[in-house]
Amino acid sequence: MNKRIMFWARECPHCKAMMPFVDKLEKEIGIKLEKLEIWHNEENADLMRSYRSVIAPKCGGQLRTPTFFNTESNDVICGEVEYETLKEWALK
Amino acid sequence: MKKYWRCFVCNDIHYGVKPPEICPTCLAKHAYVEISSNEAKNISGVGKVEFDKERFHEAIDKFTEKNEFQVNPDKGKVKMLLDGIFSNEQNYGLKYCPCRLITKDFAEDIKQVCPCNFLIHETYKDKEDGECWCGLFVRRKKNE
Ligand code: SF4
Repeated sequence: MNKRIMFWARECPHCKAMMPFVDKLEKEIGIKLEKLEIWHNEENADLMRSYRSVIAPKCGGQLRTPTFFNTESNDVICGEVEYETLKEWALK
Repeated sequence: MKKYWRCFVCNDIHYGVKPPEICPTCLAKHAYVEISSNEAKNISGVGKVEFDKERFHEAIDKFTEKNEFQVNPDKGKVKMLLDGIFSNEQNYGLKYCPCRLITKDFAEDIKQVCPCNFLIHETYKDKEDGECWCGLFVRRKKNE
């Protein structure tokens, strides 16, 4: 599986706001993110929960959406961020 | 530890560490007696109260009336969030926050029922334009 995951939720306004950045990023640097919806897909939800000990401490103790997670480096960003911040995360 | 209490005059139910001194409904004093969760559930079941999105919206508007925060004036955002909250209730039994995944540890997840205690969230606390994690509730502007 792609090592760069975006955990998102269908009814989460922060995720909606970040999607255009994700599209731009994928076009600009040619890196695809694995976009996994977590409130309407149990498998994706279980996957996110399985990373709880790594993700939650970096996101105020919670499994927030959106969470951008690199499964190799364990780099995590959560919430709405600037495009540059997202790009930096993606290029790591 | 929280327990269930019942007003012996009007059957109000209270869930908390201590019973209220005065019953908020019938104003009887020292009227609460401890009961089992089962009794509380059966008594609560007597008055069937349905909540659709509109009722919930009214309820949170009322809830914010005397608070330093209000429901987000951005109607599109609110609609999206209420859709999520209600679909979570339908699928998972409670109005779970649409922008945070439940952990399946109930003691943790009960803190994510909307409205949650967002006053302690880093997105709200000490922030002039603070909002709950999802943006359903926003701090009232000083002149409003
Ligand atoms: S963060 Fe906002 S939308 Fe989410 S549960 Fe708390 S109050 Fe509700």
